[in-house]
Amino acid sequence: MINNFSKLKISSVFLTLLISAPAIIIFLYLFIGSSENWEHLKETLLFEYVFNSLYIMIGVAVLTALIGFTTAYLTSLYTFSFSKFFHYGLILPFAIPTYIMAFIYGGMFDITGSVTTFILDTLGKTLDEVIFFDIMSIEGAIIIMSLVLYPYVYLICKTYLSFESASIIDAAKTFNLSSWQILKKVILPISRPAIVAGVTLAVMEAVADFGVMDYFGVSTFVTGIFRAWFGMGSVEDAAKLASILMTFVFLLIVLERLQRRNKVYKSSGKDFKPIDKVKLTGFKNVLAVITCFVPFFLGFLLPFIQLCFWFAISYEEIIDEDFMTLLYQTLTLALGSAALITALALLFVYNVRVNQDKSSSILTQVVKMGYSIPGAVVAVGILSFFAILDRYVIDLFSSTYIISGTVIAVVFGYCVRFLAIAINNFESGFTRIPTTYDDAAKTFNIGQNKTFVKIFLPLLKNSAFAAFIVIFIEVIKELPLTMILRPFNYDTLAVRALELTQQAQIIESSVPSMFIIVIGIISVTLLAKNMNKA
Amino acid sequence: MIKKLALSAIVLASSLYASSEVNVYSHRHYDTDKKLFKMFEEKTGIKVNVVKAKASALIKRMESEGAKSPADVLITVDAGRLYQAKSKDLLQSINSNYLTTNIPATLRDKDNKWFALTKRSRVAVYRIGSGMDSKLSTYEGLADPKFKGQIMVRSSNNIYNQSLMAAMIAHHGKEYALNWAKGVVANMAKAPKGNDRYQVKAVANGIGSVAIANTYYIGKMVHNKDASQRESVKKVKIFFPKFENGGTHINVSGAGVAKYAPNKDNAIKFVEFLASKEAQELFAQANYEYPVLAGVKSSELVSSWGQFKDDTISINTLGENNKAAVKVFDQAGWK
Repeated sequence: MINNFSKLKISSVFLTLLISAPAIIIFLYLFIGSSENWEHLKETLLFEYVFNSLYIMIGVAVLTALIGFTTAYLTSLYTFSFSKFFHYGLILPFAIPTYIMAFIYGGMFDITGSVTTFILDTLGKTLDEVIFFDIMSIEGAIIIMSLVLYPYVYLICKTYLSFESASIIDAAKTFNLSSWQILKKVILPISRPAIVAGVTLAVMEAVADFGVMDYFGVSTFVTGIFRAWFGMGSVEDAAKLASILMTFVFLLIVLERLQRRNKVYKSSGKDFKPIDKVKLTGFKNVLAVITCFVPFFLGFLLPFIQLCFWFAISYEEIIDEDFMTLLYQTLTLALGSAALITALALLFVYNVRVNQDKSSSILTQVVKMGYSIPGAVVAVGILSFFAILDRYVIDLFSSTYIISGTVIAVVFGYCVRFLAIAINNFESGFTRIPTTYDDAAKTFNIGQNKTFVKIFLPLLKNSAFAAFIVIFIEVIKELPLTMILRPFNYDTLAVRALELTQQAQIIESSVPSMFIIVIGIISVTLLAKNMNKA
Repeated sequence: MIKKLALSAIVLASSLYASSEVNVYSHRHYDTDKKLFKMFEEKTGIKVNVVKAKASALIKRMESEGAKSPADVLITVDAGRLYQAKSKDLLQSINSNYLTTNIPATLRDKDNKWFALTKRSRVAVYRIGSGMDSKLSTYEGLADPKFKGQIMVRSSNNIYNQSLMAAMIAHHGKEYALNWAKGVVANMAKAPKGNDRYQVKAVANGIGSVAIANTYYIGKMVHNKDASQRESVKKVKIFFPKFENGGTHINVSGAGVAKYAPNKDNAIKFVEFLASKEAQELFAQANYEYPVLAGVKSSELVSSWGQFKDDTISINTLGENNKAAVKVFDQAGWK
């Protein structure tokens, strides 16, 4: 008889196989690659790809950790002017897709951009008399990616700190430690898993980015993948590069896990008490406001103002009946996918919790790898996978493709890409539930299903909500995968934004971008409210 | 057995699909195309279903879908990708008197597997008053050290640059092309980034003096909501360079009928429509492209830029040399 434990395990194994199938197919290309191109790549660009990708990963890791943690620390433990506002405001950059941010910043800071012109006019100088920081550079890309991605670190750290720190800080205070000492000796060490979880997501997203790097002319693994595929028409070499990237990220995750192994901080399960926030005054107050304002201003306010300006001059032309259809399609697609992915993530994490074995946690790690593969490469894997399924399995029942070129393929793609985010959310949620609950349930002989529904589900409500919202926003923003896999006449806001930017109608592209961002803002506000309740 | 079943399934599918629709995989993403598709629907009652994505992605999709692919027509913005689709055996020869009579042999595939729909030329755009007009001559000349620090051009990831390089290889061979690319890299005012418009804006505002760009971008900049684009484009002029032993480099966007097209007849009608006078006029007027149909005039603005002679090499060559072009760029350090 199959009990609940193994049912859970069996579904996890099955789902892992299904979800990692596209990645496995990409890996298989390693063995059928043509070597002529590969030799050329090794001779010319491979070193640059490795160097630049590493540079970006390190840059984004440092910056997002710095911004994300500092702001989470300040807003969780202190009150200062506008601190309530920053609680929401600091998540807002998350609503802006990286490629849109790159276009906006590129537009503002380029030769005739609003910021450049403003500075030149103010100084009364001409372009050749002033040396500007070139935003369209690898450093510029790192800054832009970090401005958009630091909310990952902020969100996870903040949730963690709000839950964990009160009693520990109280304890630290009894030792008469100064707030600086508490930060260094207590808060930073206990926040490490949260920082690392957030940074890992940010780094994975940065390293899989194509839009920003392509526009800024930075060569990375991903631009290399596209160059091999689009330029040389070699999917094999593209897949080979993708495999290296995936291996690289997998090693990163494993290393991080190994290092963290002995440093997992589990909740004692004793009463969660809210933090007594300390009120900052004077210089410290000003410093805290500035620290929070800068990322909010650069990551959201400034680009948003530029976008509003562009929106005002172009909305009439862009918003029509077709636009409303694609708005509807985007929303339904995102809602459906977010619900599905949240449920799947819960299943994976719960499997780890129940079985507490190595194989279960390996399954979860394997599934998480999809996040590091660029969307377009996931799409290639999915195309090949569904072609096989459609051709050999469903062929007998249908005269046309059932899965390829349908919404199912698109949603499946999102599962491959975004399960990692939802799983990370639940993982941190689960660590907050003391294992004594599991033991108690066992002692009282409460069935696994009942324990899940009665105990875990209510406790994980907030994590589930957070996962749902984050995935919802990600799907709204997602681009390459949707482009390649979508059915006929099926557009999304992100696709429309890209089409317009490809025609270099940057101003017009502000309209779909604005919708993406406003939907993002609404979602982010809900998320922040939920965090408050937590 | 399975094969037989599949075959009958395909036949069944074809008859079912032979309804009034045509499925288009398109790399073109212009609003003009949307208008054209609507015109076709109104005229014929055939519904146009579209998926838009990068050409290579669409080609990969057709490849994966194999014989059951719903695609009828593939449209790309360059000849290289059409060549790629043909060499992967994803297109079929079609027999259309209209197309073979009206589209010149240099602008279609030799086996009639694809046909050009519009032409765009890749030219030099110089800042008025920079003195560059007297220095500009051929594409080959752009590698001359007299242009040191003057040239703005986008990344070699871009297909338009790849096609230009493919043409250079066709004219002079790989070794010459490599030296040429090295020369141009040495003459660049800035490392390649941004799109064609960015290059034009840079030149207009004093960064470098010569931009390499496609003509239709100039048209789009003239009629733009962004004042800085309109202002920038006023400061520049177009120069049509030539190859030493040829003409001005042109690329095409074109269409082919998918090998397994379930709606083959509609697909042919559709391609014929895109090559018809009314469609060609819209291409020319709204998107500042050059029509391929004789007798259709370019827009007034486009005509005002002047005349040029198309390069002599076959458009097919651009596709054949694409891979080599990318490699030459890599070796030359053209980012």
